[in-house]
Amino acid sequence: MKDEEIDDLWKKAAQDPQELDPRVLQHIGDSIKPTLRPVRPLPSVGRMAVGVVLVCVAVSLAGAARAGFFGLAKMNLQERLLVFPTLGLLACLVAVGFVHQMIPASRVRISPRALLALSSVALLAVFAVLFRDYHTDHFFSAGITCLLTGLLHAIPAGLLSWLVLRRGFAASAAAAGLIAGTLAGIAGVGLLELHCPNFQAAHILVWHTAVVPVSAAFGALLGRELRARTRSPKT
Amino acid sequence: MPGAVGGCGDFGADVCEGAEPSAKISMEIPGMHSGENLETLMVRYQQGDFAAATALIESISPHLHHFFLATSNSRADADDLLQETWLRIHKVRHTYRPGEPARPWFYAIARHIRVDHYRKIVRAAAGERELEEMSKSVSSAPPHAGGLDALMAPLSESQREVIAMLKIEGMSLEEVARATSSSVGSVKQKVHRAYKKLRETIGRAGSRKCRDGGLA
Repeated sequence: MKDEEIDDLWKKAAQDPQELDPRVLQHIGDSIKPTLRPVRPLPSVGRMAVGVVLVCVAVSLAGAARAGFFGLAKMNLQERLLVFPTLGLLACLVAVGFVHQMIPASRVRISPRALLALSSVALLAVFAVLFRDYHTDHFFSAGITCLLTGLLHAIPAGLLSWLVLRRGFAASAAAAGLIAGTLAGIAGVGLLELHCPNFQAAHILVWHTAVVPVSAAFGALLGRELRARTRSPKT
Repeated sequence: MPGAVGGCGDFGADVCEGAEPSAKISMEIPGMHSGENLETLMVRYQQGDFAAATALIESISPHLHHFFLATSNSRADADDLLQETWLRIHKVRHTYRPGEPARPWFYAIARHIRVDHYRKIVRAAAGERELEEMSKSVSSAPPHAGGLDALMAPLSESQREVIAMLKIEGMSLEEVARATSSSVGSVKQKVHRAYKKLRETIGRAGSRKCRDGGLA
């Protein structure tokens, strides 16, 4: 069977409309009338994205100010010029994606999963190029401390970003959660780069980078869970 | 390769033009001035204009209802889903961005409501053997010309919604991609897979018919 024949089947099937009961339309009109008042459309994508990025930068800086800028102090100019602009660029890219997830029917250029993969790979590449100390002292104990510190700072970054975009509507809560988690994870990595003076390649490649996918996974799970809980009891 | 993913011609010329999203919804509705489209009505609706809201309800509801019928097979469900969709549309009407196509925005919200409803049904049906068997028998039913539910039966949920938007509602690939928060490539891939599945199902049904006829 050819595609054209299947198209014909769709056309025939679609020509069998079932009339919509006018009472249903009347009921819909009546139900929205009492609460119909002017609303303010969402601000521009750029404005919302800037707001979200500023939140992430503020969380990273506040965390590092509290814990100490030891990592930044130990970095040379080349490391600073490569690590922080990469983090900033990724944060901007993911923030725009997050904003698009909070606007129904936005054009999706890069999917949330692709953004997560891109962020993780970009960080791995930058860290692999810059850090060449291949010793692995206290690999697990130091690593888990850094992972937890990154995730602890990802939580306020994610929640505050969500607050900035609270007027939006996530048509796919899991995708929005995933991308919010990715962004929060980038904020967590930002804090670690400012704070952590452990420049061993294995430590940074594994434990610092891991903050992004772990935070994204938490975000996706949280989004799914919130959607399941806030689902209306009707239908 | 028949039904290749790459070419627009595979899905019919009407879905590839897609330049004027709301042009296909043309009707005269009270409260809708001549030359007005969904986008301008949406802006007026955001400004609190009840006539625009009524015009929108009357113009887009039959299409949303048709979409729900094509994907849920139950008139009662479609009525409920339509009402719930409008309640949600009303609640999040500020998320429509003036200047953007309105139709994908409506369908994105309708899809959200439908997916919630579907998940609820799946959860409710989990563990109920009878329902499981019933759904199995429905999904193995061979499609025949003229029956929308039978044509949709072998398709997965995501394929059904994409086919319903593209083939039943006549939306463009770009509009479907926006409504489903995916890329045009992903929509094409879903349609390609849906057509492949349909060809197989129809082919199987045809050969079974021939075999039965031969035996008789």
